[in-house]
Amino acid sequence: MLGLFGALDMASRSLSVQQEEMTLTGQNLANVSNPSYADEQLVTSQSVPLPTQIGDEGTGVQMTGITESRNPLLDSQIQAEASTTGSLTAQQTSLQNAEAYLDEQISSTSSLSVPDSPNGLASDLSNLFNSFQSLSTDPSNLSLRQSAVESAQQVTAQFNQVSAQLATVQANLNTSVQNDVASSNQDLNTIASLNQQIASAEAAGGSANQLVDQREQTLENLAGLANFSTSTEANGAINVSIGGVTMVSGATATDQLQAYDPGNGQLQVRAQNAGTQITLTGGSISGEITARDGALASLQSGLNTLASQLITQVNTIYSAGYDLNGNTGQDLFTGTDASDIGVNSNVVTDPSQFQAASVPNAAGDNKVALGLAQLGNQNVAGLNNQTFSGNYAQTVSSLGDAISSVNDQLGNSQAVSQMLTTDRAATSGVSIDQEMSNLIQYQKAYEASAEIVTTLNEMMQTAVAMKTV
Amino acid sequence: MRVSNDSFSNNFLYQISQLQSQQTSLQSETTTGLSVTQPEDNPAVMNQVLNLQSEASTGAQYQNNIATIQNSASTASDALNSLQSLVEQAGEIATQANGLSSSTQLSSYATQVGQLIQQALQLANTQDANGNYIFGGTDTGSAPFAATTDANGNVTGVTYTGNASVADSEIAPGLTVSAQNPGENNTGSGTEGVFADSRTGADLFNHLISLQQNLQSGNTGAIASTDKSNLTKDENNVVTQISGNAVLQSTLQVAGNVAQQQISTENSQMSNDTSANLAQTLTHLSQTQTAYEAALESGTMVMSLSLVDFLS
Repeated sequence: MLGLFGALDMASRSLSVQQEEMTLTGQNLANVSNPSYADEQLVTSQSVPLPTQIGDEGTGVQMTGITESRNPLLDSQIQAEASTTGSLTAQQTSLQNAEAYLDEQISSTSSLSVPDSPNGLASDLSNLFNSFQSLSTDPSNLSLRQSAVESAQQVTAQFNQVSAQLATVQANLNTSVQNDVASSNQDLNTIASLNQQIASAEAAGGSANQLVDQREQTLENLAGLANFSTSTEANGAINVSIGGVTMVSGATATDQLQAYDPGNGQLQVRAQNAGTQITLTGGSISGEITARDGALASLQSGLNTLASQLITQVNTIYSAGYDLNGNTGQDLFTGTDASDIGVNSNVVTDPSQFQAASVPNAAGDNKVALGLAQLGNQNVAGLNNQTFSGNYAQTVSSLGDAISSVNDQLGNSQAVSQMLTTDRAATSGVSIDQEMSNLIQYQKAYEASAEIVTTLNEMMQTAVAMKTV
Repeated sequence: MRVSNDSFSNNFLYQISQLQSQQTSLQSETTTGLSVTQPEDNPAVMNQVLNLQSEASTGAQYQNNIATIQNSASTASDALNSLQSLVEQAGEIATQANGLSSSTQLSSYATQVGQLIQQALQLANTQDANGNYIFGGTDTGSAPFAATTDANGNVTGVTYTGNASVADSEIAPGLTVSAQNPGENNTGSGTEGVFADSRTGADLFNHLISLQQNLQSGNTGAIASTDKSNLTKDENNVVTQISGNAVLQSTLQVAGNVAQQQISTENSQMSNDTSANLAQTLTHLSQTQTAYEAALESGTMVMSLSLVDFLS
């Protein structure tokens, strides 16, 4: 039998358990909008019973620990999806930048009247060949020569501008790779040090829920940068390996990511200590590299091929021609690709030097101008047997394809993330309704236990009073 | 299923952001009237539109070329018609001189022919609106015909300094035409010369000079035997040129119509490709708006309530 004092002890334990429950409810409610927080519960059990002649007698309740509702499988799925989303978002951002720089947009006026996208390369190319056409109808006309030269300048300026802007996008992607690698390393260090704290907290018998939450958030942040795989140790530490190289082993950050230049200025990623190159398949670092070496690179090479074919094809015809002064042999375009294509400065300062004629001293001869004009409709072998305009349209729509596919994938990935987050919120999230109903329960239990203390007190007074009678 | 506060607000935010982005795209479709504005919207359509734009722009350029060539052709036509009546007059003089013996009359005819030679020279050096000599072949920069005269001011010879080439311009893909005729073409190939051509036997200036000289010398027999038939060759040559010019003008007319038709086909194709179906878009927009409103209303209704409100 517990006796009065034993019962009083039991009631007071109950009071402190209810009080602890209240504290946890407060903690849960305080974190109701914290996305990385997992709902915490007090684990209680019946305290050790006393064997008596009439059987085991209960001694009340005891607290055995605080747990949180986490589903490790969901957590790892969310991490994997964060990698996918991170990669696709990085691709989408940079490719949309490139798309904007191309400036090929359909505006409502241009589709309804005569088409004219005023800034894009497509209209500049059309204008170039059209100005050659005009020149062919009156080859000695100086103002037509002037406008042919101006169209040529317009095309080269647009090539140069787009090329420079795409180079900026590329440089930004390399900077992003570097920054993301630095952030990843920071996350890896954080995970290692959290591993250590969690292991020592749990070894001391406590629970390190807050640290686990923090580590989960760091892991998800890391997943957005680079995809990784994890394994959990018995002491609660999580090992992280990226691309097959162990980066965090228990409490130690054994290796780090390093962005390095393989020689072409296009940064790649390797393990700093192991020295092995790492091919990431998810996370923003991989997205940046994919966009840079994929759609952006093919856009750049498409434009460069177009520019270099324009230079060779035009110059081949042009250099055989004669200008109004009977001179020949000059080129119209200088340079080798989109970045440095330019117009021969002689013809810019003096359009009479435009070599439009096939024979000297025949101002009205237009064979070269006509040849240049007809180039606009010709299929060029170096452009996959497409015309200049057709090839450019193909290049633009290839970029469009790449972005549209990234958009679709990103939409899917966001929907999956959303589903997983909802699932996790259902498991780990705090429900105000639940907390409030628990609150009532704990309050009533506390009141009831307090009532027992009061009653026991009265009983004890009664017992003491017996002596004085 | 357990619903936590997070899961509800997460879902709610995701749903309204989806609806919002849908609304934005529908709204921009409505205001621009276009379902495709960027390459990413529909790469295949973008490709087609860029090609159609380039084709339509080439078509518009063909129209410009056609207009320019039409101008040259009508300048040439005027000159050719004047030339024809000039040759006819010379032919009439040759006919009337036949059997005449009065030297005064013959020399008055000779003077008339001298005037015709001057007129023909003027026509031979016709310039178009841009100052180009139209009968100099591709050597359009300088006067193609120059006359040498004797002490009496009579033209004794006319030399041609132009060439026998013409400049072709494109009026449709692969179709080139020229409104030019060289003044002389004795090469035996290429576009026929207006004033002299070895294939037709035309040699207007020499024939006129010979007529004038025969009139002056009273050699009416030679006029009847050679000059008259030579002038007929010249007239035939000019008539051929005139009909060639007429054929060219009608070709240009047809090509202009074809280009116009092609441009409007291309434009309507582009607008078909890119235009939003307004009725459909507006219906979708109003549906989305209703859904958005309903989501907001129901969301705030549910979110504002919790057990807390019912505990006192």
